[in-house]
Amino acid sequence: MWNPHQPLSKSTRYGLAGSSYLLVLLVWSAIAFFELASSNALPAPWEVAQGFMVLASYNEAKESYLLVDATIASVTRIGLATLLVTSIGIPVGILMGSSPKINAVVGPLLDPFRSAPIVSVLPILVIWMGIDEALKVAFLVLGSVVYLVPMTRDAIVAVPREAYISLKDLGATDLEAIRHGVLPMAMPRIWDAVTVAVSIMWTYITVAEYVNADSGLGQLITHAKRFSAMDQVFAGILVIILLALITNISLVAAKRALFPWETE
Amino acid sequence: MAYGIQLQGITQCYPDPSGEGEITIIEGLDLCIAEPNITMLLGPSGSGKSTILKMMGGVRPYGVVTPSGGTVSINGELCTGEHPDAVMVFQHYWNRPDLTIAQNVALPFRLGLWKGRVSENEQKERVTWAMKMCGLEHRADNRPAQLSGGQNQRVAIARALALKPKILLMDEPFGALDAQTRKEMQALLIQLRAETGCHVVFVTHDVEEALLVGDRIVVLSTHRPSDIALDFNLIDPKPRDDLWLRSTRIGKIETEVFRALSGEGSPKDLRELGVEVNR
Ligand SMILES: Nc1ncnc2c1ncn2[C@@H]1O[C@H](COP(=O)(O)OP(=O)(O)O)[C@@H](O)[C@H]1O
Ligand SMILES: [Mg+2]
Repeated sequence: MWNPHQPLSKSTRYGLAGSSYLLVLLVWSAIAFFELASSNALPAPWEVAQGFMVLASYNEAKESYLLVDATIASVTRIGLATLLVTSIGIPVGILMGSSPKINAVVGPLLDPFRSAPIVSVLPILVIWMGIDEALKVAFLVLGSVVYLVPMTRDAIVAVPREAYISLKDLGATDLEAIRHGVLPMAMPRIWDAVTVAVSIMWTYITVAEYVNADSGLGQLITHAKRFSAMDQVFAGILVIILLALITNISLVAAKRALFPWETE
Repeated sequence: MAYGIQLQGITQCYPDPSGEGEITIIEGLDLCIAEPNITMLLGPSGSGKSTILKMMGGVRPYGVVTPSGGTVSINGELCTGEHPDAVMVFQHYWNRPDLTIAQNVALPFRLGLWKGRVSENEQKERVTWAMKMCGLEHRADNRPAQLSGGQNQRVAIARALALKPKILLMDEPFGALDAQTRKEMQALLIQLRAETGCHVVFVTHDVEEALLVGDRIVVLSTHRPSDIALDFNLIDPKPRDDLWLRSTRIGKIETEVFRALSGEGSPKDLRELGVEVNR
């Protein structure tokens, strides 16, 4: 039991994970069944399932599938933000990790934001960027870039010195030693950083879509809350959690496929 | 003058670890390596062997030393920068874990010092040849993690060989290997040297290794600054086995080497054993 290195078989692992989900569902059902909480505060699982069905089915009034449209909108925003944040954040992180001087200049500007309440800059962002699509994507980028950049830098710094020195000894220039020695070694951890960045975006999506809510899962939840449709609020949140989970699992699986040498 | 490496009046100072002043590790060291053979640089740790060896590869911007004084010449020309004739192999080999063995051997051809010097076709030929020489021909598509420590060190040697260096500089290359593998690698080195005809300068602190592998043995003393306490040729045929090592004559030579290491002894005693003493 108390051994951090104890190997678990797949069936044990999935069995335990499944039963913990089941336990939560059971407790939740019990609370609803015995009416220990008002259905306004905590709707029953079956009510949430109904709420989900309402969202997922064709909406006559709006002439569309609300959940499908909202999911597409949110996923598109996160996809776009991921593209932006990686194409800015990874190069900056690599530069900072590769040169202590650059790190000394950029680091102090960036590091405080890791613990700053990024949500509080939203009003400023509104002034700068308006309230349309650009704002939502910019907020997601801002929220995740303050994690992606330092994590990328740390990934570079964590590569053992030997990687750099060995390449220098083989006749590499400084940049070649980074490019052919350090960078390939840092890639798995940089991938981890991207995974974290995307996860963070999923946690910020409701905030991003709160302003001028016109589409997306965040809007769906805000809208449902306004009409006190708690079942739909819960259904929306569960959909976000599920999507975040799927993203995460795919990125972890992709890592294993991209960097098979790391686990060898 | 024949091809060779010449160190003249080499002095090396490093900042004192206490933070104050400097300590002189080597002072006024002269060493000329002209014969293409295996020259062993033998000395206790801290005597400055690695420092001397790195100078022979030229002055490189990382971890490699610009001598505080004196000059290094390769092939009669003053050597002030990294030199393409000299290639180093270290105790702590490093192979890129994401590349195959063949790609690891070919890696230097992508780097500044070597880029464009060798045609693509010749690169391929050399990589195949070097891997064959090191007994890695069936490992081309494996990755480093699938190989043992000894085989990984073979990869490092193959990578050096593929560059066809005139000078192969080895810094305790087999120090981290188990005894059996180490013997294999020593035999491999002797064979590779004979086939390629290059100069090998081999740093070790192990007297037995020096005797088993060396054609010439340069002993640094424990003094600080250290100096060359003994410098002699050992022309006994190779491979040399344990029986040879345990013979009375070699036993006496070994004793003299140990005395030189601790700053005693004299070349005269060695000459009496029929050994050609350079200094
Ligand atoms: N870059 C350096 N800066 C400061 N001191 C060094 C440096 N390189 C080596 N030294 C010191 O010089 C001495 C000789 O080092 P080295 O040449 O590595 O000896 P060896 O290889 O014989 O063990 C050691 O005491 C070591 O601590
Ligand atoms: Mg050393």
